Amino acid sequence: MKDFIKVSPLKLLELSSSKELGRGNLGVLMSRAGVGKTACLIHIAFDKLFSNKKLVHVSLEDTPDRVTSYYNVIFSDLVKALEIKDESEKRMLFERNRMILAYMHHSFEIKRLMENLRTFVEKLDFVPDCLIVDGLNFETADKSTLEGFKAVAGEFNVEIWFSALSHRHITEKNERGIPYPCSRVDEMLGMILQLNSTPTGIFLQLLKDHDSPVKADTSVRLDPNTFLVTE
Amino acid sequence: MAEDIQRLRNIGISAHIDSGKTTLTERILYYTKKIFAVHEVKGKDGVGATMDSMELERERGITIASAATFCEWKNHRINIIDTPGHVDFTIEVERSLRVLDGSILVLCAVGGVQSQTITVDRQMNRYKVPRVAFVNKCDRSGADPIRVNEQLRARLNHKTALMQLPIGLEADLSGIIDLVTMKAMYFDGPYGEEIRIEDIPDNMLDKAREYREDLLDTASMFSDELMEAVLEEKATEDLINSAIRKGTLARELIPVFIGSAYKNIGVQPLLDAVLKYLPSPVDIRNYALDMEHDDMEVEVTSDPDAPTLALAFKLEVTPYGQLTYIRIYQGSIRKGDDLINSRDRKKIKVGRLARMHADKMEEITGASAGDIIALFGVECYSGDTFTDGKLRYSFTSMFVPEPVISLSITPKDNKSEVNMSKAINRFVREDPTFRSYVDHESGETIISGMGELHLEIYVERMKREFNSEVETGAPQVSYREAISSRADFNYIHKKQTGGSGQYGRVAGFMEPSDDNNYEFVNAIRGGVIPTEYIPAIDKGFKSCLKKGRLIGFPVLGMRMTINDGQYHSVDSSEMAFVQTAVGAFHQAYAKAKPIILEPIMKVSVECPSEFQGNVMGSINQRRGIIISCAEDGVFTTVDAEVPLAEMFGYATTLRSSTQGKAEFTMEFSKYSKVPESIAEELKKTLAEGARKGKN
Repeated sequence: MKDFIKVSPLKLLELSSSKELGRGNLGVLMSRAGVGKTACLIHIAFDKLFSNKKLVHVSLEDTPDRVTSYYNVIFSDLVKALEIKDESEKRMLFERNRMILAYMHHSFEIKRLMENLRTFVEKLDFVPDCLIVDGLNFETADKSTLEGFKAVAGEFNVEIWFSALSHRHITEKNERGIPYPCSRVDEMLGMILQLNSTPTGIFLQLLKDHDSPVKADTSVRLDPNTFLVTE
Repeated sequence: MAEDIQRLRNIGISAHIDSGKTTLTERILYYTKKIFAVHEVKGKDGVGATMDSMELERERGITIASAATFCEWKNHRINIIDTPGHVDFTIEVERSLRVLDGSILVLCAVGGVQSQTITVDRQMNRYKVPRVAFVNKCDRSGADPIRVNEQLRARLNHKTALMQLPIGLEADLSGIIDLVTMKAMYFDGPYGEEIRIEDIPDNMLDKAREYREDLLDTASMFSDELMEAVLEEKATEDLINSAIRKGTLARELIPVFIGSAYKNIGVQPLLDAVLKYLPSPVDIRNYALDMEHDDMEVEVTSDPDAPTLALAFKLEVTPYGQLTYIRIYQGSIRKGDDLINSRDRKKIKVGRLARMHADKMEEITGASAGDIIALFGVECYSGDTFTDGKLRYSFTSMFVPEPVISLSITPKDNKSEVNMSKAINRFVREDPTFRSYVDHESGETIISGMGELHLEIYVERMKREFNSEVETGAPQVSYREAISSRADFNYIHKKQTGGSGQYGRVAGFMEPSDDNNYEFVNAIRGGVIPTEYIPAIDKGFKSCLKKGRLIGFPVLGMRMTINDGQYHSVDSSEMAFVQTAVGAFHQAYAKAKPIILEPIMKVSVECPSEFQGNVMGSINQRRGIIISCAEDGVFTTVDAEVPLAEMFGYATTLRSSTQGKAEFTMEFSKYSKVPESIAEELKKTLAEGARKGKN
């Protein structure tokens, strides 16, 4: 198998000064609809899982079955792209290290997430290293929601990656150059990545790197089929 | 004739256990004048619901076997198969879905989409069955049919069209609003047989308009004509119905109806919907396999004058003798006709044929394409295809899951012993997931099936229907063996001490294969083993797969390659090479690091969220792996994979740890390697059991 970590989208973080999001912090992957936000987020998940870290995928929209099928499809693509030989072992690794937590019909509350994570730790001895949160609406999420997630990240000593939907027609940016909708809450976020589809390819760009300044062109090109880094 | 077929519906009623489908069927039979009194499921009146024909079913209040019945509604004939809800009996559901053209998916307005609903829905998808949904029990406390409609969309990923709204809910449920006609319907009379149609109550008019908009939006996606009419505000009932029917037949839409069968509300409109939206046999494409052309798939025609094709989908012993339920797909069957069983080419003569109405029957002289009828006294197995001899077609074999649990049974006396074998012989023919064999080492009769309850029911039936009392052993998991690495063999079988001798040498290797199947690879070059002996070697290997050398269970997933060997012009024979292969297999097997595999079940537990921790703990204690956890309001569904060996008695544990508020379903998922520590223990236990069996 070619080393996934070397071509994972999170290789972008090697270009950052801190090199990682870090435990206790919140990070966001933002893009417009249809560019591949969820797929890229799941690649971030695989980056953690293949590093033998435990991960909880929190879905605020999709059923567990649908989340599972996202993982399965992307894993199948990775098997082909990376010529993975020990497929069943790798599958077992990510299935054992991943827990899916879905909140259907707007039933999500920070309090319930805290309780669920405590149950995982106490009853299952499943101590997560990372949370992936898909489906949080950053346009309506207020500061208190993110403070709640920050408290989760602190209590469970995890890093949390979110996906956020941006819009072509809303071009506003705040004074720190962070585009909508993350512009409203960027002080709560450790890192912000943006997935851009351009005529020359798909690029993952670093927009925020904790308190360090970010060079304007800090990005990696991704293969449009596999979302793996191509250069 | 063609018009007759268009006025026929073959439907199933499938759902989660206790969602009220037997009560619904009972009401349907009452309104279609097939029965003249209504009885309740639990038999409070001492009679029990009509469709629960077995004594056992009446006692337990659940439907165990499919009972077929037919009825007439508004000049249409409807064949109904009432299907069981418990997952242990899903073969019944699967068999009925195979022969049905449409189905009513019954949901509970309180419980909504539950794990069993998801299983049943998956089965319907497998057999491409169009359906309408009926949200029952809207009179119950906590009923919320609109939430159930949303669950159908979110959890089952269906596009749905809510066709009605309730007038009042829970104890106040008094009628329904039809969003197509925009009229209110009330059900008067002792059993709701008199339908009173009135204007929509003023206080519900706005809500009804809002939901009708939704309905029109959804239906318009299936008809450009309706879309235009909606834009011009000229949508007619016919246009809406036609669009809904189109979407339903394409299985892209599920119309959702609501009501309470128990309170006699909403059943007649559901029957209307069966006629309006579910397909007739001519609307469905069915396929058979042409056995004379390499099992090529061929479409059957629904033409009553074409050569006959019928499928036996259920056998049943009744007070009238053995009944074989068949679905005629093409042609006709008349009393006195000869039919050929495609499996064994045996000819049978059609004696009596009947339409079944639960446990009563109506004798008929003939039936045509599309119909579901019962034949008397026909010797066959469930799944057999019958033709009139002009075609050599067979229907695709129905998907039959492998049994996962076994039980030893010992008759209590001689009389029971004789009756037990009669009973087993019958059950094996009736139910392909029920198997039986005699363990030659212990001499015990072993029965196997899909779960504890499945086998428990058959043991009870032996007692009640066949007067056979048996003692049962502890349930036994159906383990499997597999090899984990490649191993070479080079074996000589030689018996040349007087008389005709035996000689063979075979060399090659065994290795794990990717799937669970056996594969034989002949890489012999230069005729070192003559071609005529190669099948014997394959046969020898296959015989070894039946019982592995590790714990005596079947071996899965192995590729056997032979690449060298030797023969003797006089002493070699087929039998000698069978023995050579057996010897070679045994020589390599231990070196190939055999492992034990155990069945892993996909377990789904639904519980109030406050018990989520207890449920997860109980799964964790059983070597289970939690896959996901989904919260929906106050309910949580925990999905996990758990070894079957750890699931015995789980119902009791779950009940006590959740105050009886949780329920679970499980189905076979895969075979997985038994952890080393448990494998050692298992080997000892099984060896001990085998020793006791011999003594």
